[in-house]
Amino acid sequence: MFTIFKEHKGFGKQIFLLAKNELIKTYKGAVIGPLWAVVKPAFTVFVYWFAFSCGIKTLKAVHVNLGRLEPFSTDFFTFMFIGIIPWFFIQDSITQGAKTLRTNRQFITKVKFPVSTILTYTALSRLFVHMILMVIMYVYVLFAVGPSWYNLQFFLYCPLMFIFFVALSWSTAPMSAFSKDFESLIVSIMSGIFWLSGIMYDSYGFGQPLAFIMLFNPINFFVNGYRNCFLYNRPFYDYGTELAIFLAEFIVVFALGIFNYNRLRKKLPDVL
Amino acid sequence: MAEPIITFKNVSKTYILYKNDQARFKALFFKPRNPKTNKALNNVSIQINRGESVGIVGDNGAGKSTLLKMITGVAFPDEGEIIVNGKVAALLELTAGFSTEMTGRENIYLKGYILGLEDDYIKQIEDKIIDFAELGDYIDQPVRTYSSGMKMRLGFAINVNIEPDVLVVDEALSVGDATFKKKCKNKIKEIIEAGTTVLYVSHNASSVQEICPRSIFLKKGTVIYDGPTEKTLKVYEDSKKKK
Repeated sequence: MFTIFKEHKGFGKQIFLLAKNELIKTYKGAVIGPLWAVVKPAFTVFVYWFAFSCGIKTLKAVHVNLGRLEPFSTDFFTFMFIGIIPWFFIQDSITQGAKTLRTNRQFITKVKFPVSTILTYTALSRLFVHMILMVIMYVYVLFAVGPSWYNLQFFLYCPLMFIFFVALSWSTAPMSAFSKDFESLIVSIMSGIFWLSGIMYDSYGFGQPLAFIMLFNPINFFVNGYRNCFLYNRPFYDYGTELAIFLAEFIVVFALGIFNYNRLRKKLPDVL
Repeated sequence: MAEPIITFKNVSKTYILYKNDQARFKALFFKPRNPKTNKALNNVSIQINRGESVGIVGDNGAGKSTLLKMITGVAFPDEGEIIVNGKVAALLELTAGFSTEMTGRENIYLKGYILGLEDDYIKQIEDKIIDFAELGDYIDQPVRTYSSGMKMRLGFAINVNIEPDVLVVDEALSVGDATFKKKCKNKIKEIIEAGTTVLYVSHNASSVQEICPRSIFLKKGTVIYDGPTEKTLKVYEDSKKKK
């Protein structure tokens, strides 16, 4: 029943070492090495800012409906920048998470290996990249917004995000390993998911019932959560409905992950 | 003395052959209806004791690889039970788990972690491995710069030096040049003498005879004969002639 936890037991140290190895593998051999982890997101941020603030000149300020009397106003760049940092992690987690077992098939078909830890250590190496981006973002936040005690909520949102997307990959990774169509399906809907999530715009800003429907997108929970920490200075329990819906989804994803992993684990070496 | 280290109890394994990718996708959600199957192992029961070296012979597709995969813990049976008491090292895919961007030395550690070893232990055997692989200065070069022989040698060196309880050796002992081949064979003999259980798979009758006193003959997933190597090989030869 709890294969995943059993596989992780006593393997903690190896997970860290393999995560480190994963990073080295990715960035070794390039002159600026780990800087590449920053270059791509930085360029993406620039492009969106350029397109929306300079190209489409209307988007300079954002007014966010936080359920208070006055909307929360901020400039577009700060709003987008804080929201897009968790998105980078989420995007990589979903697409790479789904592919991971296929790309690491040698660990499944050639040697005995606690397979679910592959998903953990690759996610951990992505978390490291996320931390680098967080440092850069926080420096910006310190100057543009200013520090706040609410910043500490990051240590709630970030681990929650990590666990949520690892648990999601318990389902998606074995299924992608089984069928390449499933993997392609996930990769091809990703850019759509970006625009369906409140990264470039305020997901609270719709009229009903759309604003309520947006609460069911877990990506919104994290994007808004990061903004709670660094921009809105809002406690995580402020919007109870959003939190409750997310927690319910979290439990479902977690349970489904365990179910799917157990269902497919023993078949993996035969199909990869 | 006769302490079983590997036990197979009525083990069967069936591979499902999906008609196409659509069928495969469907199988994610529904149980396939009357799929084509291939029975790789059929009700196999064997017992191998600690310190024994056993040869496994049979034609291609007899289920040898499936059997070994199950012993190494890579594949799982559909029915029956497998008990393995101890650390298994496999000389099946010598280069499995190598990261080509990293150096040979780093790969020793990486492979060690994959096998669940600790830093301290790997440090102890590191020199032995480097020495055995005869890589010289190349040990600190990325593995992608290695020749295939060098990769094999490193893989072989790692697997035989982690002091396994069970060593699984596939035919592919065509590692490197004649001198190194001889060195490998001697090392395997040394391992056997040290009391390690060895499973040896080969088409080559003489090398099985040289290494293993006992052999198992597999045919279409069934154990046809299990006994002294000489007899097994005779049964194997006879079944070939019948064809």
